[in-house]
Amino acid sequence: MDIRLPNMGEGAEAGTVASILVKAGDIVEKDQALIELESEKAVISIPSTTAGRVSKIHVRKGDEIRVGAVVVSLDRGEGSSAGGEERTAEPGDEPPKRPTMQGLPKPDAPPSPPPELPEGVRPGASPTIRRMARDLGIDLRRIRGTARGGRIMVADLRDYVARLQQAAGSHATTAPPAAPTPLDTPAIDFSRWGPVRVERATALRKTIASRMADSWRTIPHVAQFGDADITALTALRKQYVPIYKEKNARLTLTPIVLKAVANALARHPVVNSSWDEASGDIVLKDYVHIGLAVDTDAGLIVPVIRDVDRKSVLELAREVEALTERTRRRQISMDETRGGTFTVSNQGGIGGAHFTPIVNKPEAAILGVGRGREMLRKVDGEVRTRIVLPLTVSHDHRIIDGANGVRFLVDLVEIIERFPAEELEIERTKG
Amino acid sequence: MERIDAELVVLGAGPGGYAAAFYAADRGKKVVLIENDNRLGGVCLNRGCIPSKSLLHATHMISEAEASARRGIAFSKPEIDSARLRSWKDGIIHKLSQGLRMLAQRRGVEVMFGRGRFEGARSLRVETEEGQRFIDFENAIVATGSEPAIPKAWDLGSSRIMTSNEALEVDTIPRKLLVIGGGYIGMELGTVYAALGSKVTLVEALDTILTGTDPDLVRPVMYRAKKKFEEIRLKTKVKRLSTKDRHIEAITEKDGQEYAELFDRVLVAVGRRPNCDDLGLENTSVELDERGFIKVDERQRTADSNIYAIGDVAGGVMLAHKAAKEARIAIEALLGESAIFDAVIPAVVFTDPEVAWCGLTEREAGERGIDVTIATFPWGASGRALAVGRPDGVTKLVVEPQTERILGMGIAGHGAAELIGEGVILVEMGATARDLAESVHPHPTLSETLMECAEMFYGHATHAAPRPKKT
Repeated sequence: MDIRLPNMGEGAEAGTVASILVKAGDIVEKDQALIELESEKAVISIPSTTAGRVSKIHVRKGDEIRVGAVVVSLDRGEGSSAGGEERTAEPGDEPPKRPTMQGLPKPDAPPSPPPELPEGVRPGASPTIRRMARDLGIDLRRIRGTARGGRIMVADLRDYVARLQQAAGSHATTAPPAAPTPLDTPAIDFSRWGPVRVERATALRKTIASRMADSWRTIPHVAQFGDADITALTALRKQYVPIYKEKNARLTLTPIVLKAVANALARHPVVNSSWDEASGDIVLKDYVHIGLAVDTDAGLIVPVIRDVDRKSVLELAREVEALTERTRRRQISMDETRGGTFTVSNQGGIGGAHFTPIVNKPEAAILGVGRGREMLRKVDGEVRTRIVLPLTVSHDHRIIDGANGVRFLVDLVEIIERFPAEELEIERTKG
Repeated sequence: MERIDAELVVLGAGPGGYAAAFYAADRGKKVVLIENDNRLGGVCLNRGCIPSKSLLHATHMISEAEASARRGIAFSKPEIDSARLRSWKDGIIHKLSQGLRMLAQRRGVEVMFGRGRFEGARSLRVETEEGQRFIDFENAIVATGSEPAIPKAWDLGSSRIMTSNEALEVDTIPRKLLVIGGGYIGMELGTVYAALGSKVTLVEALDTILTGTDPDLVRPVMYRAKKKFEEIRLKTKVKRLSTKDRHIEAITEKDGQEYAELFDRVLVAVGRRPNCDDLGLENTSVELDERGFIKVDERQRTADSNIYAIGDVAGGVMLAHKAAKEARIAIEALLGESAIFDAVIPAVVFTDPEVAWCGLTEREAGERGIDVTIATFPWGASGRALAVGRPDGVTKLVVEPQTERILGMGIAGHGAAELIGEGVILVEMGATARDLAESVHPHPTLSETLMECAEMFYGHATHAAPRPKKT
């Protein structure tokens, strides 16, 4: 018979296999622990519901399993009751032993999501409940039903709504103004005013929408505007473009800006940090991974270039080109978009000047680069035509105060304006 | 002639159309109901459900009388007066149709007999006997239904080649009848004519009758039909039909071998096509799918935001109760309510024995890779089934094994169509097999088979041999 992951109580529905305590061929007693499961809240040992010989182990260490998953198969030996009948618990049966908890459950842990249903099977709920949920705009798949078979009752729906309200309420106290929830937004029939076309948002668009809304809602943004005079840098870059070309690399402004940002971050570690919302700590990172906002046909994707501080401009130029290309073709993995410490959004290729980019959470700051344009500037007492690059640093005021933000920007402008020729040398070897 | 203003126009007064018109009127709308036929009720009442069930009931008596002889009560051979049978059946239709007229009148629904045609997304022209009428509407519901499809090559213009429309008139009882198509229409009408004394040969191109139905539910039907029909010929193609004197010659082919046979009548029951032609849909933004059905969203709205479509013309299963449900959804949608189509639609086939199912079928679960446990209860173990002389049945449950929720139910057996309503409630309510097993059912009834089937899921039905549950 198969031993399945039982309902563990306390709303725990899934966990990761932490260790496997038996092996195939082992004789196990009833209630003997088979595996240890790490859930959100605790480490739990899962007991065998019967005695027998382990014929097969269906899980591996590290597997994420849900309630109902087969853990091991047992052969029932001679010692088991005659007939070998297999049945689920009946009224009057000894209640099955509850899994034992080690460690304390976290207080205030959010209720776990309901068990996943097979594709095509909808949550158990009566037509009345389904209509109520529709009227309220609630997806029943998010609700744990408490009745037999996971059926959703009016009380479950009411509890869920109460929790939503509570969540909205607590937002209001910590991050005013209160986060607007979809519940507050009535459906608008745009076709009342003329013909419309409705496109389904892609998964990417939905991700962008929810991440941007979350960043905007939770991060108090400050935007610092600056201008870098890149007349000298432009001349320098032009000088190096053919040399890079010989090495099959395109020397654009982007790898240079990345390098300059890495150098500026070295002077301002707080800009290369994150606000840990769970613990309230500031996490400073000893690595510099910079995200690069890439405009693809499908929408914004931000792949991350690792260890920018330890790479040469040549390496960065090659990586920017390759990564951008792969991103546009949607060939990058989720992993390649994670772990950034700062983001650069260069819109100069399209145009525009200063703009206020939204911080890419959980990073603390983002640089927006506009298009360099010719301006008249007074240099050494004379009015000259200079190429000026508009720069904006948006930052999270929870971590970076305005003064620190502008100090970072001033340093960045200085680094770009005096970008050293040695940094562009390609013979330079890096350790 | 002055133009009529209506908040809602319903095109077609079948079980979808009149349900929509009545519900809208009950909710305070000014409604015009347009019917192309000269009676309300659509196919269901005039050329479908009601006449076929009347005839099935009438002819059921013949086979019951035959079976009765074995129980020691013998009747003499029945005399069949087909004219009287027809007028009895027509009487039922007339009564129900008059009932609908009265219900429409009480609600203030304006009924207009004539052909309706869209002139634009907000206006319609109706050709009535009294001349043209023009209606300006806010919303329209297209509920024009479907009609029997007959391939051109078989449409010889002979009255000997019938669709279900003509077959239900029973103007004669043919000695030899060929039924083309082993779907529910072919099977139901084949059953009627076989009972009336026709020698019925049924041909079906596929390898089973009632395609799409779980094979274990088809089995009892096939078993009995083989006895009642002259022959059921599966995997058989009809190559040609032609008139020969007072007969129709049919050339059929099975396993590479051709058969040429003469029949008095042929019933073509190979499907139904939507009635979308000549509705003036080209004057609206309504779109059709590749099979000619009107495309609708989950709220029954067409590509034209003022126009809804329900029932057969909107595709999906062609069942009157599905049309009626869609009618409610469309009305609620146009009233701005949150209704969407998420209902369990039971399927019923009035063969002998009847077959009915609802929710997920075993077959669908297999096709969609949904892990289910099947529990079945054979009617041979039901006292009532034996007492009424019909042990040829089976009740089955499709259960989700983790939650033990009932996802679907299937029944083949006497009165299955009446029993499936309980299955619909169970599936809609998200009930578990235990909910069903622990709800006491009256003895001795066929409804007990549902409860015992749920007990079978747990491996211990009282009237069945114990066995481990299937996984």
